[in-house]
Amino acid sequence: MSRSDAEKADFLRRMIKYIPHAGELGMRVERVAGNELTLRLPWREDLVGNPETGAIHGGVITTLMDQALGTAGLVHDDVPPNITPTLDLRIDHLRQSPRGADMFATARVYRATSRVLFVQGLAYCESPDKPVARATGSFVLRGEIDLQRILSPEET
Amino acid sequence: MNLSELLRQAPDDRTLNLWLARIPYAAYLGLRAQVHGQQILFTMPRNDKLVGNPTLPALHGGTVGAFMELAGSFHLLARMEKPSIPKIIDFSLDYLRPARLRDTYAECTLTRQGRNIANVSISAWQTTPDEPNAIARAHFLLSDYD
Repeated sequence: MSRSDAEKADFLRRMIKYIPHAGELGMRVERVAGNELTLRLPWREDLVGNPETGAIHGGVITTLMDQALGTAGLVHDDVPPNITPTLDLRIDHLRQSPRGADMFATARVYRATSRVLFVQGLAYCESPDKPVARATGSFVLRGEIDLQRILSPEET
Repeated sequence: MNLSELLRQAPDDRTLNLWLARIPYAAYLGLRAQVHGQQILFTMPRNDKLVGNPTLPALHGGTVGAFMELAGSFHLLARMEKPSIPKIIDFSLDYLRPARLRDTYAECTLTRQGRNIANVSISAWQTTPDEPNAIARAHFLLSDYD
């Protein structure tokens, strides 16, 4: 039986909580809908790349996308819960983000083999129709790690 | 002194580091630059805030990528005849081995500088340049058309 969106979101929250730098940046789970997740990154002055426009630095977007795409397997019905190190990541920077605007990143696994996940995602501020960045990545399934145990509620 | 005035100065350690300190996110990562002739060595100091995997522990892969993008843009800026802030167009990153919780270094190669677009390759390592943790390629827009 497949998990509900709420169960997936809860598991994803525990994963994000396990990652110190995600917490450091203030990332949080916005929503899970079926096989797609959305993370939120609140705007912060110290993450700005261009002090004249207030745009978030592209490198922060890289981190947000790596996090969103790298955890997309956790909410996919056909993928076992696992650690998925990034093999590669490609990011197109489509427009600058506006000053003061929170950023959202959606991600979805569009093909899962037994060893590799192929994932794509989008980052936006006001609307998904005006994306800030688009990302494509490949991630390796590390079958030997028991993520359920690492993220068990007792330990969080 | 505003950013564009700063950019017109000759690239040296002091200018580069002053510049790095003025970009909030570069300051957040604590980036440093050392000019060695034609090459610039960039350093991202060990920082507990950047951990992505607390079990190993390893740096968050995204921060290594972010460091490399910043290194690429500053490497470029130091070589521009009329310096301006390069805008990232796209970024391709290959992770080769996990980055441990220690200092990370990066060096760049300006593969091609056209009139409007530059192609920069970036390599990041922790132990020796022969064992990179990640390699990346970036395109930057040199002048602002938007």
